[in-house]
Amino acid sequence: MQYGRFLLRRVFHSLFVIWGAATVVFLLRFITPGDPVTALAPPDAGDEVRAALERRLGLDDPIHVQYFEYITDLMVGDFGNSMEVLDRSVLDWIFWTRFLRSLELAISATILAIVIAIPLGVVSARRRHTPADYSATLFSLGGISTPNFWLGLMLILLIAVPVGFIPTGTPGPLLHEAVGDLFAGDPGTLGDWLRFMFLPALTLGTYFTALITRLTRSGMLEEIGKAYVKACRAKGLPETLTMYRHVLRNTLIPIVTILGLQLGTLIGGAIITETVFEWNGLGQLLIERINARDWTMIQGIVIIIAIGFVTINTVVDLLYAYLDPRVMEE
Amino acid sequence: MISDRVKSSLKREFYQSRAAQVGVVLIAIILFTAVFAPMLTPHDPTTQRVGTGNGSALTDLPPLSPIPGHEFVGTRDQTMVNQTTGEFVNVQQEVPANASHPLGTNERGQDILSRIIYGARVSMLVGLLGTALATLLGVPYGLVAGYFGGRLDDTLMRAADVMLAFPSLVLAIALIGVFRDTSFHTAELPDPFVAAAQGDLVPNILIPRAEHVASMPETTTFPVTVTLVVALVNWVWFARITRGEALSIRAEEYVTAARSLGASDVTILRQHILPNAITPIIVLATIQVAFIILLEASLSFLGFSGTNLTWGADIQQGRDGLSSGKWWVSTMPGLAIIAAVVGVNLLGDWLRDALDPGIQGESGGI
Repeated sequence: MQYGRFLLRRVFHSLFVIWGAATVVFLLRFITPGDPVTALAPPDAGDEVRAALERRLGLDDPIHVQYFEYITDLMVGDFGNSMEVLDRSVLDWIFWTRFLRSLELAISATILAIVIAIPLGVVSARRRHTPADYSATLFSLGGISTPNFWLGLMLILLIAVPVGFIPTGTPGPLLHEAVGDLFAGDPGTLGDWLRFMFLPALTLGTYFTALITRLTRSGMLEEIGKAYVKACRAKGLPETLTMYRHVLRNTLIPIVTILGLQLGTLIGGAIITETVFEWNGLGQLLIERINARDWTMIQGIVIIIAIGFVTINTVVDLLYAYLDPRVMEE
Repeated sequence: MISDRVKSSLKREFYQSRAAQVGVVLIAIILFTAVFAPMLTPHDPTTQRVGTGNGSALTDLPPLSPIPGHEFVGTRDQTMVNQTTGEFVNVQQEVPANASHPLGTNERGQDILSRIIYGARVSMLVGLLGTALATLLGVPYGLVAGYFGGRLDDTLMRAADVMLAFPSLVLAIALIGVFRDTSFHTAELPDPFVAAAQGDLVPNILIPRAEHVASMPETTTFPVTVTLVVALVNWVWFARITRGEALSIRAEEYVTAARSLGASDVTILRQHILPNAITPIIVLATIQVAFIILLEASLSFLGFSGTNLTWGADIQQGRDGLSSGKWWVSTMPGLAIIAAVVGVNLLGDWLRDALDPGIQGESGGI
């Protein structure tokens, strides 16, 4: 199949999925028991007030009209207003700092995970059945089995509290502010950013580190048994070169796909991590809005997360197909 | 459905792998604890022991130390009346560990060991029932999609893909937002042992510690919504893996043979496709139990579960005490979660290694 056709199909499919996700989110509100007008209106409100509120929220139309308006609004990027604070638009509330905070956390955790996990996995596979391998295996089993909110609390207890200079509440500066200050000649903000980011990124990244270590190890072991490795060794290629240039490279391809699928776990983990560290990102906002029963905000946040998730998965798939054209046949 | 070859492979792998044995033992202990909780707990997990007088309070007790000679000491704020001025003053009192509460107590004086024992019930129930429900939803869905193929397959799998657009925790939280105001958010399950010990159904001789059992909570709060939600969030994985299997099995000659002999679609699906697709489903189910236990813990940590007698909720409860030195309230339930999830994961590794000939003898991978 042509790459262009594959790309078009894949993009079309992801647009379909986003539309489906938006529909699911729209329907969620309709199966929710309880009526937003009753929740919002003052207890002594008369029928007129209630009717006005209903009109304001757009709830007086039949469901298909509401759905049509909802989808068309979404297409032009209008997520509506919050149901609790009626003048506040959903997007305004979510963007930008909240969104950036979550994004920074997720990316830092991923980078941390990759930097630690891949060498660990390689060492573990090369020195199979040695103490190094056993510790790496034990670590990765523990990592995928530890709830990250608990891990976060333990890190606060064991690192932040005794060390003192690592903050645990209230989020620090954003990266672009830190970088801006750095160019302005003040590296202090970047230091702050690192201090604030360290524990949350470690908390969120541990599951991923463990997972990637496990995948790298088993993938490497599977590859090492193949004939081309024997050929590399036979022609006298240094072992390190064989491992990193050939074996690791072949191992990484399936890992990338699995990581794409596991990204949901990362986003879910970010929600929990944000709660533990009072990170003030999208996840914490979602929890807060769920508790306020603010459905337009919940819909907005869930859709934004879904769009981000689907987009990254599509990009990963496209990259994967570019690197390994065989997958296009499936 | 499980052939002799598979059984012998399972057995061989079990005897060879220390990890598999550890996993089975861990899970056996936790299941045993969950089932016989009323007989095993030292105290009622819900009783609060907030005393008023000096020494009667059993709040904030530290756990017993595993190292002899080194004891944990907790502190407790006590309000005292200054005898000369008549003012109330806050005094920090040192609290020694108490042997009848080996893992200590929380700020309400509830026994942590008892709460962990009862917490195993919710965790295991949600983990097993949630996975069972997800299997029941996903496997038939995937079988139909993969077996019939074509346009039906396309439609079904597109719809399933929509579910994958949401990270599971995000979808779970949104769904709980929907369902938590319903009347079925939680259900009170009567405890058969307590009922038997209280009534005259069974001679009390047959129940160990009958008097103690009779004083335990009569019901266990079971989070119905959470169970439904974890199943709704995870069934897609079962649908996808089953569909893939069905798609390849339907091309096998024995399926063609069965069809030419006049077997109906239902018969072929039940007697040929499902039994041959079962191994990856079992392996996935084990991984899912671990995942669902973690998901349930996360949801109850966030306060969405509707019951507070769970590991996740207890960790949340101990959070405030962390900064004032009461480390054990959050730490202990977390260790229980790890034990359960490690157990299930080791079990999963064992099943995968034994059932999947591709990567035999290797633990690791997913």
